[in-house]
Amino acid sequence: MAINSVVETDFPEEFVEEIEKSQDILPRKIDANPKNVEKGLAKLVLTLIELIRKLLEKQAMRRVEAGSLSDEQIENVGETLMKLENKMEELKEIFGLKDEELNLNLGPLGNLM
Amino acid sequence: MTLYLYGIIDSSDPIKESLYGLEGAGVYNVSFCDIGAVVSEISQPIQNVTEVAILEHETVIEKLMANFVVLPARFQTIIDGRDNLRSIMQSCYKDFKENLARVRNRLEFGIKVIWPADKVKENIIQTLKEGRPWPAEPDCSANKRFIRGKLETYQINEKFKKKANKFIDAMDIFFSKFAAEKKLKRLKTENLLLDAVYLVEKNKESDFRDAFEHIKSAHEGFKFLFSGPWPPYNFVILPKKNDLLKESEKKDLFDKVIQHREPVGAREIWQ
Repeated sequence: MAINSVVETDFPEEFVEEIEKSQDILPRKIDANPKNVEKGLAKLVLTLIELIRKLLEKQAMRRVEAGSLSDEQIENVGETLMKLENKMEELKEIFGLKDEELNLNLGPLGNLM
Repeated sequence: MTLYLYGIIDSSDPIKESLYGLEGAGVYNVSFCDIGAVVSEISQPIQNVTEVAILEHETVIEKLMANFVVLPARFQTIIDGRDNLRSIMQSCYKDFKENLARVRNRLEFGIKVIWPADKVKENIIQTLKEGRPWPAEPDCSANKRFIRGKLETYQINEKFKKKANKFIDAMDIFFSKFAAEKKLKRLKTENLLLDAVYLVEKNKESDFRDAFEHIKSAHEGFKFLFSGPWPPYNFVILPKKNDLLKESEKKDLFDKVIQHREPVGAREIWQ
C-alpha cells in the first residue's frame, strides 16, 4: 500500500508560476563552452562585484538611516555608489547580461543574492 | 553493472513484493549488515527526466514505505557497480542508521504560502510616507538625491522582509507544535512567502492537518498549498565525502557484519 500523497490547493497555477519563477532565477550549472567562455567568466566576476556592491550599499543605507554620516560623507557615499552602479550597468551591457543573471546557486545554501 | 538507487531501508531482508521501477526493471534489496539499498539494474543512465520516470521512482519509494523505514534517494541516483555501492554503504552506515532512526514513524509534509505582496508593499509605502514624509529638496545635489532614492527602497525592502518574517513566524509556531523537524525557505520570490517542509510523527498527522486548516482560515487573501505525506526527502542528512568512519567505528561495523553473516547468509549480504 502506497502512502497516498496529495497536493491540495485552490490555486495550482499561481503556485506553479511562483515555483518556476524561483527556479528560473539561474541555472544550476554554468553553461561554459569555447564560444561563450568570455561571457561566462564575466558573469561570474560581475556577480561577485554585484554582491560586494550590494553589501556596500546596504551598509551605507544602515549608516544613513542611523544618522551617523555627515552631509559631506553622504555626498561622498552617494557619488561612489552612483558611479559604481553606472559602471556595473555599462559592464552588463557590454557582456549582454541582465540583472537576474547576476546570481549564483549555492545548492543547499540557496542563491547568492 | 550500473545500479539505480531508490533508497536505503531499515532491513536486510529480500523484498517479498514484486516491485518494478524505472523502465520496468525489477527492484531488489542489496543488504549490508542490518540495512539495505534498494536498487534496480539499468543498462545506461537515465537520459531524459520525464514525469513518468519521476513517478516510477516515487512509486517504488512509497511502496517501500508501507513495510520499511526508507531514506529516499534523489531521482537519478546512479551507482557504478556493487563494489561502489558496498563502499558507500560501508562508509555511510552510521549516518544511514542515524537517519533511519530519525525518520522512523515520521512523514514529510510540504506547505507553501503565497501572500499579497503588492498590497503589503503598497501599505508599507503609504505608512512610511505618512509617518515620515520625504519632501523633495530642490537644492539637493544629485548624489544626495541618489542616496535618498536608495534609502527609500532600502526601507521599503527591510519593512517588507520584517513583515514577511512576522507572518512566517506566526504560522511556523503553530505548525511546529506538531512537527519534529522543519526546513523553511522564506520569500523565495516576492510572492512566495513560505516554502516549508515539516517532518511529522505519524500519530500527529491529523493534528498537523488541523493546524494547517486553522492557519489557512485565519489568513484571508493568502493562498495555501498543502502536500504530503511524502517520503522524507528533505530530512536525510548525508555525510560529506571525507566524513569516513573512524578506526573504532570500522571495527564495530566489522563485528556487525560478522554477527549478521549467520542469519542473513554471507552470500546474501551483497547479492
